[in-house]
Amino acid sequence: MAETMTSRERVLRVFRREETDRPACFSGMGNVTTEGLSKLGYQFAKVHQDARMMAETAASTPKLFGYDCCILPFDLAVEAEALGAVMNTYPDSADILYPTIKEKVIHSPEEMETLHVPADLVERGRVPLMREAIGLARKELGETVPVGSYVLGPFTLAGQIMELNDLLKLSFKKPDKVSKLLEDLTCVIVAVAREYEKAGVDYLCVREMGATSDVLSPRAFKSLILPHLKNIFKALSVPSVIHICGKTNDIVPFMVESGATAISVDQKNDIVETRKKLGPEAIIFGNFDPYNVLVAGTPEQVRETIRKCLDSGVSAVWPGCDIWPTVPPDNFNAMMDEVRKYRR
Amino acid sequence: MASEERQKEILEKLKQAVIQYDEDQAKEAAQEALELEGLKANDAIFNGLVVGMQEVGRLFEAQEYFVPELLMCADALYAGLEILKPHVEELDLGVKGSVVIGTVEGDVHDIGKNIVKMMFDVAGFTVYDLGRDVPLDKFVEEQLRTDSDLLCLSAMMTTTMTGMQKVIDDIRKKNPKVKIMIGGAPVSKDVAQKYGADGYAADATNALADAIKMIGSLKDLKDEAEGKKK
Repeated sequence: MAETMTSRERVLRVFRREETDRPACFSGMGNVTTEGLSKLGYQFAKVHQDARMMAETAASTPKLFGYDCCILPFDLAVEAEALGAVMNTYPDSADILYPTIKEKVIHSPEEMETLHVPADLVERGRVPLMREAIGLARKELGETVPVGSYVLGPFTLAGQIMELNDLLKLSFKKPDKVSKLLEDLTCVIVAVAREYEKAGVDYLCVREMGATSDVLSPRAFKSLILPHLKNIFKALSVPSVIHICGKTNDIVPFMVESGATAISVDQKNDIVETRKKLGPEAIIFGNFDPYNVLVAGTPEQVRETIRKCLDSGVSAVWPGCDIWPTVPPDNFNAMMDEVRKYRR
Repeated sequence: MASEERQKEILEKLKQAVIQYDEDQAKEAAQEALELEGLKANDAIFNGLVVGMQEVGRLFEAQEYFVPELLMCADALYAGLEILKPHVEELDLGVKGSVVIGTVEGDVHDIGKNIVKMMFDVAGFTVYDLGRDVPLDKFVEEQLRTDSDLLCLSAMMTTTMTGMQKVIDDIRKKNPKVKIMIGGAPVSKDVAQKYGADGYAADATNALADAIKMIGSLKDLKDEAEGKKK
């Protein structure tokens, strides 16, 4: 079937529940590939701190493979850095390693109450760089490919700026204390997300994987996490996605209730059940395994998996996490070919 | 037989302290165990604390407990263990030894690693905990320095799992006899085989439950060893 829409048109229509020429295949999480990096001659550790390199790297994936989006950044440290955390990009590693936080902001449970949110938060860390990179990506891709970005959910961000062990235990022992911190972080997330909106993103994904049912009970999700997510989605104006990986079948109704335009789940979710639970109106993105299928699988396994996602009732094909950079080009091409051929 | 009843009571108190994540009760019961003649520290650990942790593992698998509860139960276990440990007699479980453990470079998640570490602490291993985000060379260096029987590598994310193979290849060359275990969310039997590891624990939930089950099997070994003596 000939494609009659641009990726941008297709994706924006998915968010409006309108018909598309073929299923969209895109994401709200990182999509950098070693294929793209080597064509550009860039080292992964370097592309996080240079707006032009970041924009070019992000744009290389839709250009090389016809993927329906361009997403930046590639790491999970932007908000934490703006709050004063220090990121490690592993500049000396020969491997592809995603940046992590090496210096936290909150060092003890007592400091949770005295978290200082700088008044000029959006001028700190890499927030200005992100604005520039989003603008550059927009310019480079014109109106053909949507440019998206992501922010962390408040619980996941809390885990970046303080000891996860403490956060988890306190979420059980002192939920009020944790909730107060999440309230502060919600303001941080909204402030950063608004900057991305101003810079021109077409949609935003909120990644709240820290609150997966592998870790937190659905009961705790509802009482502790959901109220803050609602405040975030209320404040956003572009189409939005809530992403949670791992076990999610029991919390998908809460994910919808959060107010996000669409929900994103990974391969552990039973989409048939989720679709039945949420009804035909819900926009559900998912849910293939971006490593074991897309990187380690054969092109035929990739095709089968993509068909299965669509047969189960996803609204668009979307990976369960960041696409792992070493994805073989044959597998990426097989995925795109399969969505082009797909007939319901 | 008042003493036997008292023993039972204390063991039950230790068990419940772990299940109810009550550190104070665990300390109190551990102290009582030491004061009661005829109750060995080993028995207090395995028939009290460990039995409690086994129940916690069951509750975790049944999704009645989640990670926050599990962490609090582990704290209670450690609170009791710290008091009992100095009084433990040498036990020949056939598994005594030393272990180098850590989370590979690029990975800052260490909850799974810490639960596995707890298992080794309970078993009386000498544990060299390298922490998290550990450079690959450091594992090899520390294993050679300590000549540990075991090397445990953990990775929570797919993105860091590939580093484990490098460590395994390197250490096999230098020290073929060390046993290597890998664990973490993306680890599967296939991965363990492909990387040449001796043992594995798959996916976040299973890794935690498996670690607890391993403590359970230590208890079986202990019972067996003692049964033989009699």
